[in-house]
Amino acid sequence: MRYIVAKNSRDAVALLGAGDGAQPIAGGTDVLVQMKLSGVAPSVLVDLKKIPGIRDIVLEDGGIRIGACVSGAEMGENDALKNMWPGVVEAVELIGSTQVQGRATMVGNLCNGSPAADSVPALLAAEAIARIEGQDGQRDIPVFGLLEGPGRTKLGKGDLITSVLLPKAAKNSADAYLRFIPRTEMDIAVASAGVNLQLDEAGVVAAAKVALGAVAPTAVLVEDAAAALIGTRLDEAAVKQCAEACEKACNPIDDKRGTIEFRTKVAGVMATRAAKIAFQRAGGLL
Amino acid sequence: MSKQDFKILGTRPIRPDGLDKVTGKAMFGADKSVTGMLHARILRSPHAHAEIVSIDTSKAKALPGVKAVITGADFDELKNRWTGYTSQNCMAQDRALYDGHAVAAVAAISKSIAAAALKLIEVEYNLLPHVTDVDEAMKPGAPVLHVGVKARKLGDEVSGNTVGYYSFGHGDLETGFAEADEVIERSFKTAATHQGYIEPHACLADLGSDGRGELWCSTQGHYNVRLICAEILDIEESQLRVTASEIGGGFGGKTTVFIEPVALMLSRKSGKPVKAVMTRDEVFRASGPTMSSSMDIKIGMSKDGRITAAQAKLRYQGGAFPYQMVMMGAMSAFAAYDLDHVQSEGWDVMTNRPKMISYRAPGAPMAVYAVEAVVDELCQKLELDPIDTRLKNAAREGTKSSYGPTFKAIGLVEALEAAKAHPHYSAPLAENTGRGVSCGFWFNFGGQVSVSMAINADGTVNLIEGNPDIGGSRASISMMAAEALGIPLDRIRTIVGDTASVGFSDVTDGSRVTFAVGIATINAANAAIKEMCKRAAMIWEIDEDAVEWVDGAAQPTGHNAGEFPPMSLAEIAAVSGKTGGPIAGHHEGAPDKAGVSFGVHLVDVEVDPETGFTAVKRYTAFQDVGKAIHPAYVEGQIQGGAVQGIGWALNEEYIYGEDGRLQNPGFLDYRIPVASDLPMIDPVIIEVPNPGHPFGVRGCGETAIVPPLAAVSNGVSRAIGKRMFELPMSPPKILKAIG
Amino acid sequence: MARVVIFGSLRAFTGGVGEVEIEAKNTRVLLQKLSEQFEGLRETIAAGVSLAIDGEVFKEAWFTPIDEDSEVVVMPLMVGG
Repeated sequence: MRYIVAKNSRDAVALLGAGDGAQPIAGGTDVLVQMKLSGVAPSVLVDLKKIPGIRDIVLEDGGIRIGACVSGAEMGENDALKNMWPGVVEAVELIGSTQVQGRATMVGNLCNGSPAADSVPALLAAEAIARIEGQDGQRDIPVFGLLEGPGRTKLGKGDLITSVLLPKAAKNSADAYLRFIPRTEMDIAVASAGVNLQLDEAGVVAAAKVALGAVAPTAVLVEDAAAALIGTRLDEAAVKQCAEACEKACNPIDDKRGTIEFRTKVAGVMATRAAKIAFQRAGGLL
Repeated sequence: MSKQDFKILGTRPIRPDGLDKVTGKAMFGADKSVTGMLHARILRSPHAHAEIVSIDTSKAKALPGVKAVITGADFDELKNRWTGYTSQNCMAQDRALYDGHAVAAVAAISKSIAAAALKLIEVEYNLLPHVTDVDEAMKPGAPVLHVGVKARKLGDEVSGNTVGYYSFGHGDLETGFAEADEVIERSFKTAATHQGYIEPHACLADLGSDGRGELWCSTQGHYNVRLICAEILDIEESQLRVTASEIGGGFGGKTTVFIEPVALMLSRKSGKPVKAVMTRDEVFRASGPTMSSSMDIKIGMSKDGRITAAQAKLRYQGGAFPYQMVMMGAMSAFAAYDLDHVQSEGWDVMTNRPKMISYRAPGAPMAVYAVEAVVDELCQKLELDPIDTRLKNAAREGTKSSYGPTFKAIGLVEALEAAKAHPHYSAPLAENTGRGVSCGFWFNFGGQVSVSMAINADGTVNLIEGNPDIGGSRASISMMAAEALGIPLDRIRTIVGDTASVGFSDVTDGSRVTFAVGIATINAANAAIKEMCKRAAMIWEIDEDAVEWVDGAAQPTGHNAGEFPPMSLAEIAAVSGKTGGPIAGHHEGAPDKAGVSFGVHLVDVEVDPETGFTAVKRYTAFQDVGKAIHPAYVEGQIQGGAVQGIGWALNEEYIYGEDGRLQNPGFLDYRIPVASDLPMIDPVIIEVPNPGHPFGVRGCGETAIVPPLAAVSNGVSRAIGKRMFELPMSPPKILKAIG
Repeated sequence: MARVVIFGSLRAFTGGVGEVEIEAKNTRVLLQKLSEQFEGLRETIAAGVSLAIDGEVFKEAWFTPIDEDSEVVVMPLMVGG
């Protein structure tokens, strides 16, 4: 195995696009574990962390751009980010242990392609946009457009996400993320939900995004669940309707982490609880 | 036995192994390396049950850097049937009996070459039908793991996998149930759990062509390792020196061998030292978890809470080889109660799973769980207070136990009364919260032990014991030595000797070490004291019998009293070279009368009605320990037992697929509790001295894992208003029960 | 004569006999006499049994004295921990 530190994103793209079996590494909290478990090393490991700007969090057009190698801990220490997108930050901060937080990156979490990735529902709800450096130059794609299936994304050979933009949050809006795990930490979501709500001046939901994780081959946006909340102050009926819409959108697997029945029920519970948190963060009164 | 006054016992000195452990200096199993050593890797069966048709190791042997490859063919058949099973568990012979069963091993100059060599070994398997569930394995017609080992006197109603049958009890069940106002009969299941020690099995083996061997390993009993390995490798015990490393947890799981004979065989074949370290995946698939169970419990109770009759049928699943463990469950099941009519029966059953090994009070937690769950349901149904009801039926001194012996002084009533009086029991309960109570019991063992004590010329003391320190025994033994000798604790250093430096000692298990090694230590100290008194008598030119030992010094007694100033241990030691040479004491023995131990646990659990998530909100554990030598260690034992029991109750389980493969061989999906899952476990030490020990000590390491299963289950059942009958109570199961 | 109680499943090897009186000064003699009296118990005793003498449990201790009026409970060998 060769280990190469990419000097810039063009280098990285060239290396990743060149031979078979090249693998990018940022924090390495997935890559190294996979190498150890499989006993197979990639031919080339391309370290992205020295690419200029890739570890920066910068303001951009009122939104916030997060470099691909920014760690969860760094996101958690950034007040501007936490204030604008508390749901995204809390999702990323749930990944792994304190030690893992020092290395794990949000973009790595996205690229790993897990249906249970904590950051992804929050990114969907926030309508985040990934910046991709590819063989043919740079392009911007909504995170939603990258999801494909368990362990897979729509990134092509040599494509590299260099950053993710969280757009400027609307006035009176907030997001929230919740997941269900059988323990209190150090675990993988059995069902999860990211919710982003915008309220009008009267404190009524004017716009909503509801995303679920771990209940389908990829994280999913549930439009009916969002629609159930719009025009309400999250009264009982709206919450119930939202939960039912979530349950309908679920297409989970039965496995050692949870049954289909359980995941479906709990996805709705997570979504409605996250909605209530987002609502209150946005200034709404329950 | 009245309570004694002690100077050192009952204090909380800093632990002797603390500095080394927090600085990383302590040497654990995988920490030892020597020049020129090889690395071992073991090839394991991916099948639950398969005939091994052939193994071709030629390609692996040809790989540069590979120095030895072994298979079952390298291991001889053994005369001793039990060691034979152990050997076959370390390396399969003609059949792979479970997913993870070792079928070949490689030693190479690097870990990566060893790993690459494993991939070059070609094994041809012929798949056989498998069974992993205890009830299925007992059915006539089930695939039988070993022929000819069925328990004597069992009929055709059970399969040949049923390797043990036991029954205990007295009285007449029919009479007892007829006296009951309420009879409840329930069936329970518990999953297999793993001890969850953080340190994987690891060893460094060096076996020369001259037949001399050195083995460094993480174990609870290095004499036992020597015994088994010497037999498997056909070498003399004296020629194999085994040294126990510091140990990162064992809980019963390190009372046998898994990789040691393999590493020794690879070393013999390669002529080089060989290091073997299990991965976590291997620990789960191929070490020894505890039994899973299927149980039927029937208990009758009068309206006022008197148990009139009690019956238990326990079926334990213990993996791929014959074993004996359900007996301990059948004996423990009703130990807490004074019953006129009681019967418990148990069946040990083999399946295509890794062979079980001890896990903290082996066999007891599941049996007591099922019994205590039915007792709690009866209390609910008859609207009785759970602690009052247990007090009404509690075993006490003079009770004829359900397993035979009549109890001496025991502390169950004291523990129940302490629980009842504790503020926890009367604290108000929040919404969706339930309070669970359970009793627990463990026998505690004595057994063989050797201690050697040297009095140094500077007045200090070295003590060598033969039991690995897994729960603070170096501290407690030093304290007991200091108490017996009457000198300050800091004058004593206790070490765990290797198999060549002190006599045989049984495995560190059965909560026996503080009790048994303690007795040997006191006797060794008394031997040294006798010699010191003799030296003082010689110096004073008086009769040896006219000298007594008081507060760490010899002093004249009788008509010589006051004639000479006392001579301290240091003063006698300083001139020992001139009064007859070094002074030492030693003791070898096999103390019995270990003194059983009871505990009572109280827990408040909150269940999220929408997700089935259980949060442990408050936990108080009461336990009779006889005498707490070092209370902080005792509290640690109680807390640790409670936590392991909480994990067993809520989330821990071996999950097998239809294909008979283990689906969760790692700490991600085998969920032991993490720190944030738990409240502070509040331990309450009860001291009812054990008449069988000079200082009143009872074992304290195991009892604490027995009550939590039922305590948590009873708490959850009360919180959700539905009885739970299966462990673990993972959220999907609870949510389903809530409906 | 000590009162010897054969416990639980061990009775399957004594033809159902649950209690016998045996003259024995210690456990070794007692176990020898039991083996002679009940051929079916011989194998079990050879493999090891536990004994409770007046409530105290002993594991393989041949020379433990037994009093005239002692109650001895013979149980399967306790293992593990």
